[in-house]
Amino acid sequence: MNIDLIATIIALLTFFGISALMALSLNLEYGVAGVPNFGQVLFVSLGAYIAGLTYTHLLPLLAGQPFIYPCSTTLAQAVQLRTGIMQMQPGIGFVNFVITLVISAVVGGAVGYAISFITLRLKQEWFLALVLLVGGEILRIVVQGYEPIECGSGGLSGIAQPFSFVSDARLSSIGFMLLILAFVAIAYAYCERLVRSPYGRLLKAIRENDPVARSLGKRVPRVRAQVMLIGSVIAAVAGVLFAVNEGFVSTNDYVVALTLQVWVMVVLGGLGNNKGALLGAFLITVLNRVLAVAAIQLNTLGTAVEFNYFQYILLGIILIVMLLYRPKGLLPEPMQTTEAHDRLASEGD
Amino acid sequence: MTLPILVTTLVNTVQIGSMYALMALGITLTMTVLKLPNFAHAEYITFGAYTALLVSMFLSTNPMIILVLAFVVSALVALVSHLVVFRPLEKRNPSTYALLLASFAVGLILRYILFIFADHFNLFDKRPAIPLQIWFRSSVVILSNIFFWVVPTSIVVVILLSLLLNLTALGREMRALANNVNLAKVIGIRVERVKILTWLLVGGLAGVAGALWGIYSNVHPLTGWLAILSVFAAAILGGMSSFVGTILGAYVVAFSENTIMQALNQVLGLDFSFKPAIPFIIIVLVLMLRPQGLTGFFSRSRQLTR
Amino acid sequence: MLQVNNVVKDFDGLRALDGVSLEVEQGKIVGLIGPNGSGKSTLLSSIARTIDVTSGQIRFDGQDLTHVGADEAFRLGLARGYQDPGLFFQMTVLDNVLLPAKDQRGEHPWYAPLRRFWKQQEHDNAGRAAEILRQVNLNRHFDKPASDLSGGQMKLLEIARSLMGDPKLLLLDEPTAGVAPSLAYAIFQQIEALRRETGMTFLIVEHRLEILFDFVDSVYVMHMGQVLAHGTPDEISQSKDVREVYFGD
Repeated sequence: MNIDLIATIIALLTFFGISALMALSLNLEYGVAGVPNFGQVLFVSLGAYIAGLTYTHLLPLLAGQPFIYPCSTTLAQAVQLRTGIMQMQPGIGFVNFVITLVISAVVGGAVGYAISFITLRLKQEWFLALVLLVGGEILRIVVQGYEPIECGSGGLSGIAQPFSFVSDARLSSIGFMLLILAFVAIAYAYCERLVRSPYGRLLKAIRENDPVARSLGKRVPRVRAQVMLIGSVIAAVAGVLFAVNEGFVSTNDYVVALTLQVWVMVVLGGLGNNKGALLGAFLITVLNRVLAVAAIQLNTLGTAVEFNYFQYILLGIILIVMLLYRPKGLLPEPMQTTEAHDRLASEGD
Repeated sequence: MTLPILVTTLVNTVQIGSMYALMALGITLTMTVLKLPNFAHAEYITFGAYTALLVSMFLSTNPMIILVLAFVVSALVALVSHLVVFRPLEKRNPSTYALLLASFAVGLILRYILFIFADHFNLFDKRPAIPLQIWFRSSVVILSNIFFWVVPTSIVVVILLSLLLNLTALGREMRALANNVNLAKVIGIRVERVKILTWLLVGGLAGVAGALWGIYSNVHPLTGWLAILSVFAAAILGGMSSFVGTILGAYVVAFSENTIMQALNQVLGLDFSFKPAIPFIIIVLVLMLRPQGLTGFFSRSRQLTR
Repeated sequence: MLQVNNVVKDFDGLRALDGVSLEVEQGKIVGLIGPNGSGKSTLLSSIARTIDVTSGQIRFDGQDLTHVGADEAFRLGLARGYQDPGLFFQMTVLDNVLLPAKDQRGEHPWYAPLRRFWKQQEHDNAGRAAEILRQVNLNRHFDKPASDLSGGQMKLLEIARSLMGDPKLLLLDEPTAGVAPSLAYAIFQQIEALRRETGMTFLIVEHRLEILFDFVDSVYVMHMGQVLAHGTPDEISQSKDVREVYFGD
């Protein structure tokens, strides 16, 4: 056994933070508002692809360097250019990172908002799920097929995180981890306050019976679109962080399986409960890590086990067990919304 | 497009369309009779394909035996998924999304069991050991024995299925179930029995389709998963209730993926890597613009549910 | 207050409403009766704008409602109840009542997280909701999920919820369906009290004519998608045509 405990914890918390953002996003969309986003990966990958684009186009521009075509014969040169700027000019690296986040949030949110309105015509309730699922796949195929975006199936490397200039690798990863956890804190605080407000009450009403909510004066399509916008912004930011943490953008990472992982987190933790989303994200991240470590240990002992296979089987089993025996999740959704209940309770009647 | 290329793509359209038809009919049956958009259908197909591979390796290369065994294995896999997951879940009165999610979970488990199996015995991208023979040769097209297995088998199975649905008591009961579960119960149909038989039939159909797919190309744990959205596209194009519509949808999807793709490649220079997007675009367009699918264009034809 | 002019509604070639006209004056309680399938619920849904009409016109409070959505109709002061109570069963009784309150500042995704923007308004709304719940004797159940209520309480909660949106006209679809006879009478007494206190107008579909006729000002009788008769309860119960189709004698 030779496991660097601190490095493991840092990696774990980093992954947890990114997963938690995705889970909070899906929990708001499906758990609270009932919008079945089976295309979570569409919005996550949007963020990741935009990161790829800014690192190849915007970063050299900001640094005053000439643009180098990121793929084919000039690939190595382009990677060298990006990593060079990120290490030597950390300020520019940061500006580029922030602009990436802003563009991703705007584009992700706009796409979520637009899709929500475009899909209003859909007749059956699961059609939206299917259209979103398929939308994620279409984006992946287009990006994979059109080389100038992310070098096709080869992918882009050298998408360094903004603290990569710090020479101490541990310090730099701690810096990035803290940044991600800060994002999680903001997203959690926002989502939690949203759920405990009159807006949260409105979302739950729409989830349970949208025709009745409509006949009580609520503009249901607009509210659904707002929720998709917020959820997509969070997911796209998570996508940027995911890509930057990997240091690599590849279409192979953004497949339906990623969406399913996020669903497992939310179903496991508790639909409609933000704490549940965090718990689910944490448990699944730990599970993945444990399986990965176990696989490495087993491999050193000479058994060739593809831990991915077991990971997916386990995810499937968790999902089925939860749906069958604990459909409300580990932390069920609280019933009350705002403190109006406290007021009536304090009046003692 | 030169004539030989055109004819080759049309031959592919017919072959692949025939297999899509078998797969999509299973999806349509599941959706109308069992009220479930079942993504695990993909894995019933893959199980059929692997059964074909194993039977051809160890038992017999006779396509008849292969197809029958593939039917049996996939039917059993489908039944088990019903008994272990879907039936208990239905008792909890779940939302459509819970069912959809459960079907993804079942598919995930089955798929990666196959991965472990294929990994252990090194059975990735293998073809069932049926010797390839040229049965027809001309200046524009060469047809092998595979073509003459795939297409007529599909047609025969489709005809058998339509006879089953329209002429037998089971078919009538299935249609009653599709129309109104409560009414079916009231008039004394043993709903659970009909459901079990439907699951067996649906799984078996997928198994046969998967075996044919294996005979046609090769076998991989992702075989069914990679085809399933094309198959959903076919079912959706068929309006998800119509027998003829589903078959037509299957050929339209196959035609788009082969002949139209080839044309786009030659005329616009579109790369073949965009091919998988075609069924997805069909799904989105049909659901948004014409959710009733192709039905209505041939409204007087026989419907599964009406 | 409400004018329905010559409304026609076709469902897949089936004519559910065949040129219906009726008028409801402000402050009245008007009954809408007729055999099953005569088009009462379709008419109610058309007025509430949950379904679109094929032709004809619906005017409410001086405005043309024919082409507005159900949400806009509610904002204009037209609320409806459902035959199977359309409650939010997973939400508390209080949340059910608070939901329709108009112009909620906290019902916006940007302001909702900032509690001080809406805290006072929510507090006031809670006070009003408590008042309304007290009127219908549900105040003790405010923090229970709506699914825990009895059938009669659900009907009352539905009415209470509508009141939160300050409606001018309340459309009710069988407010006493599935409710014990003693409580059924109490529900109508509540309706009568509301009319007296707030001047609200009611259009009520109801099968229990013996109760309905004690409270309504006038009654419309529907048959096969048309208005067969209109008059006071006395006139209606003596009308020969009505007795023929409705009472079967």
